[in-house]
Amino acid sequence: MEPTTLVLLPAIPEIFLACAAMALLMIGVFIGDKSLRLVSWLAVGSFVVTAVLLYAFTGWGGRELAFDGLFVADPFALFAKLFILLGSAVAIILSMDYLERENTARFEYPVLIVLATVGMMMMVSANSLISLYVGLELQSLALYVVAAIRRDTIRSTEAGLKYFVLGALSSGMLLYGSSMIYGFTGSIDFAVLAERVQGEASVGVIVGIVFLAAGLAFKVSAVPFHMWTPDVYEGAPTPVTALFATAPKFAAIALFCRVMMEPFGGIADQWQQIVVLISIGSMILGALAAINQTNIKRLMAYSSIGHMGYALIGLAAGSEIGVRGVLIYMAIYIVMNVGTFAIILCMRQQGRMVENISDLAGLSKTHPMMAVALTIFMFSMAGIPPLAGFFSKLYVFLAAIEAQLYTLAVIGVVSSVVGAFYYLRIVKLMYFDEPVETLDRPIGREMGAVIAVSGLFTLLFFVWPAPILNAAAQAAASLFAG
Amino acid sequence: MTHLLALPLLMGIVASLAGTRLPPRHAPLLGAAVAAACFAAYGFLGLGMADGVAVEAAFWSVPALGIGGGLRLDGLGLVFALLISGIGFFIFLYAHRYLEGDKRLTRLSVMLTLFMTAMLGAVTADDVIVLFIFWEMTSLTSFFLVGYDHEKPGARQAALQALLVTAGGGLVLLAGLLMLTVATGTSSLSAIIAMRDIVLTDPTATAAMLLIIVGCFTKSAQIPFHFWLPNAMAAPTPVSAYLHSATMVKLGIYLLARMNPLYQDEALWQSILTWFGLGTAALGALLALRETDLKRILAYTTLTALGTLTLLIGAAPTLTLTAAMAFLVAHALYKAAMFMIAGIVDHETGTRDARALGGLRKAMPATAIATVLAALSMAGLPPFIGFLGKELIYESLLEAGPAALLLIAGMLFVNGVNVAVAGLMAIRLFFGGQRPTPARPHDPPAGMLAGPWTLAALGLAGGLLSGAVGLWIVGPSAGAILGAPVTADLYLWHGFNLVLGLSGLTLATGGALYLGWPRIQPWLAGIAAIDRFGANAGYEKGLAGIIRLSEVSTALIQHGDLRGYLRTLFLVTAAGLLLTLLLRDGFALPGFDSGTVDIRALAFLGIAGGALATVFARTLFGAVVCSGLVGFATALAFLFFGAPDVAFTQFAVETLLVAILAFALVKMPIRRADDRTARDRVKDGGIAIASGVAVTALLLAVLATPFDSRLSDWFGNASLTDAFGRNVVNVILVDFRALDTLGEITVLAIAAFAVLALLRPMLQETRKS
Repeated sequence: MEPTTLVLLPAIPEIFLACAAMALLMIGVFIGDKSLRLVSWLAVGSFVVTAVLLYAFTGWGGRELAFDGLFVADPFALFAKLFILLGSAVAIILSMDYLERENTARFEYPVLIVLATVGMMMMVSANSLISLYVGLELQSLALYVVAAIRRDTIRSTEAGLKYFVLGALSSGMLLYGSSMIYGFTGSIDFAVLAERVQGEASVGVIVGIVFLAAGLAFKVSAVPFHMWTPDVYEGAPTPVTALFATAPKFAAIALFCRVMMEPFGGIADQWQQIVVLISIGSMILGALAAINQTNIKRLMAYSSIGHMGYALIGLAAGSEIGVRGVLIYMAIYIVMNVGTFAIILCMRQQGRMVENISDLAGLSKTHPMMAVALTIFMFSMAGIPPLAGFFSKLYVFLAAIEAQLYTLAVIGVVSSVVGAFYYLRIVKLMYFDEPVETLDRPIGREMGAVIAVSGLFTLLFFVWPAPILNAAAQAAASLFAG
Repeated sequence: MTHLLALPLLMGIVASLAGTRLPPRHAPLLGAAVAAACFAAYGFLGLGMADGVAVEAAFWSVPALGIGGGLRLDGLGLVFALLISGIGFFIFLYAHRYLEGDKRLTRLSVMLTLFMTAMLGAVTADDVIVLFIFWEMTSLTSFFLVGYDHEKPGARQAALQALLVTAGGGLVLLAGLLMLTVATGTSSLSAIIAMRDIVLTDPTATAAMLLIIVGCFTKSAQIPFHFWLPNAMAAPTPVSAYLHSATMVKLGIYLLARMNPLYQDEALWQSILTWFGLGTAALGALLALRETDLKRILAYTTLTALGTLTLLIGAAPTLTLTAAMAFLVAHALYKAAMFMIAGIVDHETGTRDARALGGLRKAMPATAIATVLAALSMAGLPPFIGFLGKELIYESLLEAGPAALLLIAGMLFVNGVNVAVAGLMAIRLFFGGQRPTPARPHDPPAGMLAGPWTLAALGLAGGLLSGAVGLWIVGPSAGAILGAPVTADLYLWHGFNLVLGLSGLTLATGGALYLGWPRIQPWLAGIAAIDRFGANAGYEKGLAGIIRLSEVSTALIQHGDLRGYLRTLFLVTAAGLLLTLLLRDGFALPGFDSGTVDIRALAFLGIAGGALATVFARTLFGAVVCSGLVGFATALAFLFFGAPDVAFTQFAVETLLVAILAFALVKMPIRRADDRTARDRVKDGGIAIASGVAVTALLLAVLATPFDSRLSDWFGNASLTDAFGRNVVNVILVDFRALDTLGEITVLAIAAFAVLALLRPMLQETRKS
C-alpha cells in the first residue's frame, strides 16, 4: 500500500468554517445568551471569509482532491457552496430579531447553523459514499436540533421529533443502499464506481441506487418522501423554516446530481425512471396540495416540494444542459425563497407572528412596497416572465425537451398552470381585498434590505443574467469532465 | 432609423415607471403623449418601408440565455402597432375623463401604459422568448386591469379567470415555440419561418403546431376558451374598449397570421382554423342575441369578429388574407368606438341595459352622430370600411371550394347579427321616444368623444379612400401573412354581382333580427341549458374539481400522524424494492446445502421468535424488551459465525439500548394499551410483511450472486505482511483503520462529557429535594 500524503489545501474553506463554529461556540459559552447578536454577526462574517477562501483556494479552475480522494473541490461544488453560504447567512440575519422577540435568544442557534453549513459544504464536495454520509449527517443532526430550538412550544418540538424520526429512517435507507453498492462493486470512491458501474448494472447496484435515491429524495423533500415537509415547515420557528427552504435544499439537490451523474452517470438510462417518477409526483402534489392551504408556511412547504420536482426535471434529463438547468433553478429558487420568507417574518400584528394567508389581505394599501416585492416573488415562483423564476423553469424544460422527456415537460407545464392558481390567489388577496388588521411596522432594516435585494434580483435577473448562467454552465461542465 | 423600432418600448417602460409618481389627474395624459409618440414613430417607420422590406433592430440579446433578441417590423406588425398606439391614444384621453376624480387612475394609467408597451413589443418581437415575455405581460397587466373594480367579487373572479386562461395558454404556446426552436436551432421567428421544410419534417411538427394553435385560441377567445371574454367585461369601459375589442384579443390572431406562412398548406391547420373560427363566430352571434347589457352584447360580437378572422386565416386562398386584414382594420375602428360609446351611455345615463334605453339623440346629439357613423361601418354599409371588409369576406369565401356554401351561410347569420347589434346601438338607443334613466343624460366632455368621433370618421375615410388603404395597409400586411407580395385592389363598387346580393341578404337578415330582438332576446335568455353546459360552467367545474382533488389528496397524504408517515415510507420502500427486483428479473435463490442442519441456525430462530414476540407484545414496555431479544439473538449469530468482537459490541449496544429505553419509558406518560383498531393492525401487519418479504427477497438475490472476495482476500493477505498481526479484525481496528478507532474513542469520551453535563443539574436537583 502506497503511503499517502495528507492533502488538505482544497478543503481549507471547510476546515476554516468548522474551526469558526467551535470558536463561536466558545464565545457563546463564555459570554452567555446575550451574545446572540455578536455570535450571529460573527457567523455571517465567517461565511463571508469562507466564500473568499473558496475563491482563493479553488476558484473556477480545475478539480482538486483532498483527504485522499474523499473530498473534491471543483466548480460544481463552488457554485453550490456560494449559494449555500448565501442562504445560511441570510437565514441567520433574518433570525436575530425573531429570536430576541420570541424569547429564544440562544447563542447555540447560529453555531448550529454554521455546523449545518459545514455539513452541507461537505455534502456537495463528497467524492465517496462515506464522506457523503458524514456530510449529510453533520447537516441533518444540526438541523434536527434547530427545528426543535423552541423547546417550550409543542409545535416546535413536534416538528423536531418528526423531522428526526423520519430523517433517521431515511439516513438508514441511504446507508443500506450505500452498503449494497459497496458490497457489489467493492468501492465507495466515486471515480472507481464510475469505472465499475457500466453497461447493464447488477440488481444489487440498482437496489443500492434505489435506496440511495430514496434517502436523498427525503432530504430534498420530494414525493413520496415529502411528508415531513409541511409539518416541519409549519411547526419550526419561521427563520428555521426559511433556512430549511433554502441552503439544505441546494446542498441536497447538488449532492443528488453529483451522486447520480458522477459514479452512476454510465447507467443513466437505468436510474432515469426513478428521478422521473419522483419529479412528476413532486410537481403534481406541490401544485395540488397547496391550493387549499390557509397557512402561508405550509403553502411554502408545498411550493418547495413542487419546485424540487421542477429542479429534478433537469437531473432526469441526465445531461450537462440538464445539470446546468438544475443549478440555475436552485440559485434562483434560493433568492426567491429568501425574499418570501423575509416577508413572512414581517407578518406581525401587534407584536404577534401571524401565519395565515388571509392576514395578507389588502397589503398593497398598508405596506405597498412589501406587496410589490411579494407580488414579484409570487409571479416569479409561478414562472411568469420576465421574472427570474420563468428562466429557471425555461432551462429545465428545455433540457427535458432535448432529452425527449416530453411527458415530463407536459406535466411540468400543466402543474405550473395549476400552481399559478395559488400564487396568484395571494396576489389577488393583497391587491383586491380589504385589509382586516394591518401588519406592524417598521419591519426592520435587515428585513428591508433582504427583501429589496432579493426582489430586485428576481425582477431584473433578465437584464444581466450572464454571470450566473456562465458560472452554472462551467459548474455543470466540471461534473462531466472527469 | 432602426433604433427607432426599440424607442416605443423604452418610452413605454420609462413612462410606466415615471407614471407612478404622477397625480391621478395627470397620469393618463402622460400615457396619451407616449401613445402619440409611439404612433408617430411607427408611422415614420412605415413610410420608410413602403418597398415592403421589413425593418429590423437589435433589442435585448442575451447569448447566454439563448436569446437572440431583436425586433422586426413588417407590414403585419405595422398595422397592429399603428392600431395599438393610435387607439391607445384615444383610450387614455377617454379614461382621463371617464374615471375623473378616481384616486386609482394613476394605477390604471400605469397598467395601461405597460399593457400598450407589452402589446407593441409582442407584435414587433422577432425572438421566441421575447415574444413570449411580452405575450405574458399582456395577460398579467390585463389581470390588474380587469380586476380594477376589486370590491366587486365578479371583477375579481373575472380577472383571475382571464389570467388563468390566457397565461396558461401562453405556457402552452411557449412549449410549441420551444419545440420549433429546438427543431431549427434558432430562436428567431423570421428565421424559423424561413426554415419551413425543416420545421415541417421534424417529428414534433404536428404537436408544435397544435400547441401554438391552443395558445393563440386562448388569447383570442376561440371555442372552447371563449368564455373568459364576456366575463372580462367586468373591467372598466376604457379597458374593455382597448383590451377586449381592438388589441389583446387580436394578439392570438396576430400570431396565427404570423405563423401562417409556415403552416398554410397543412390540411390540419386549415381545417382547425376554419371550423373553430366558424364555430366561434356563430356561437358569439347566437349568444349576443341573449344579452341585454350593452358591453356583453359587444363582447359577443367581438367573438364573432375574432372567429371570422380565424376562419379567414385558415381558409387558404390569397384573397381571404386580404379580406382578413381589411376586416381586422375595420373591426378595430368601429368596435373600439362602439365600446367607448357604450361606456359614455353608461356613464351619462347610469345604465347600460339595452332594454331601458331609448331616444337619447336629443340629450346627446354629438354621441348620436358618432354612434351612427360607427354603426354604419359595423353593419357593413357603403361607403364605410366595414363594407369593404364584408364584401371581401363574401368574395373570398365564394372561392373556398366545397365548404363555401356552409361558410357563407354561417357568415350570413353572423353578419346579420352584427347588423342587428349595430341597429340596436344606433337606432334603439338614440331614436324613438326617450325613456327615463337613472341619471339625466347629456353629452360627455370632448376628451371622451374624441375617440368615437375620430375612429368612426376614420371608418368613413377608409371606405372612401379604399385604394390607399389597399395599397398601404392591407396589401403589405396580407403579403406578410402569405409570405409573398400581395396587391390588394380595394374599391367600393363591384357592380351588381353575387357578392352585392349577399350583402343585401345580410342587411335583410339583420333587419329582421333587429325587429325581432325584443322577442328573441328573452326567449334565448330563458334557455338555461346554455348556462349549464357552456364552457364557463366547464371552467367552474374544473376549478372546483381541482380544489376538491386537492382537499382529498391532502387529507389522504398529509394527515400529520407520524405513524402514518412511517407506514407510507415503509410501504413505498417495500414496493420500490419488489418492483425493482421484478422489473429487472432479479429474484434468485442461493444454492442450498441440503442435508445436515447446522445447530448454529438456532440463533436465527431466536431472532424470528423475538420479532414475533415484539409484534404480539401487549405493552410498549414488553415490545422493547422483546425487540432486545432480536438484538441478542443477532449477537449470538455473530458469535457463532466467527465475529466475536462484533458480537460483544452488539451485546453491549443492545443492553444499553434496552436499559435506556426502559428507563425513559418508565418516566414518560405513555398509554399502556395499544390504541390501534383491528383494521389498523391488519394494515400495519400487511406493511410489515411486505417489507419483510421485500428485504428477504433482496437478501436471497444478493446471496445468489457470486461472492466478491477482493476485500477479504486483501485484508487476509496484508494483515500479516503489512501489519504483522494474524487476527484480521484486530489489525483492521488498530492498524489499517487506526485513525477511525481513535476517532471513535474520542467521540465516546466527548459523549461521556456531554452525559455528565446533562446529568449534573439533575443530580443537584435530586440532592436539594
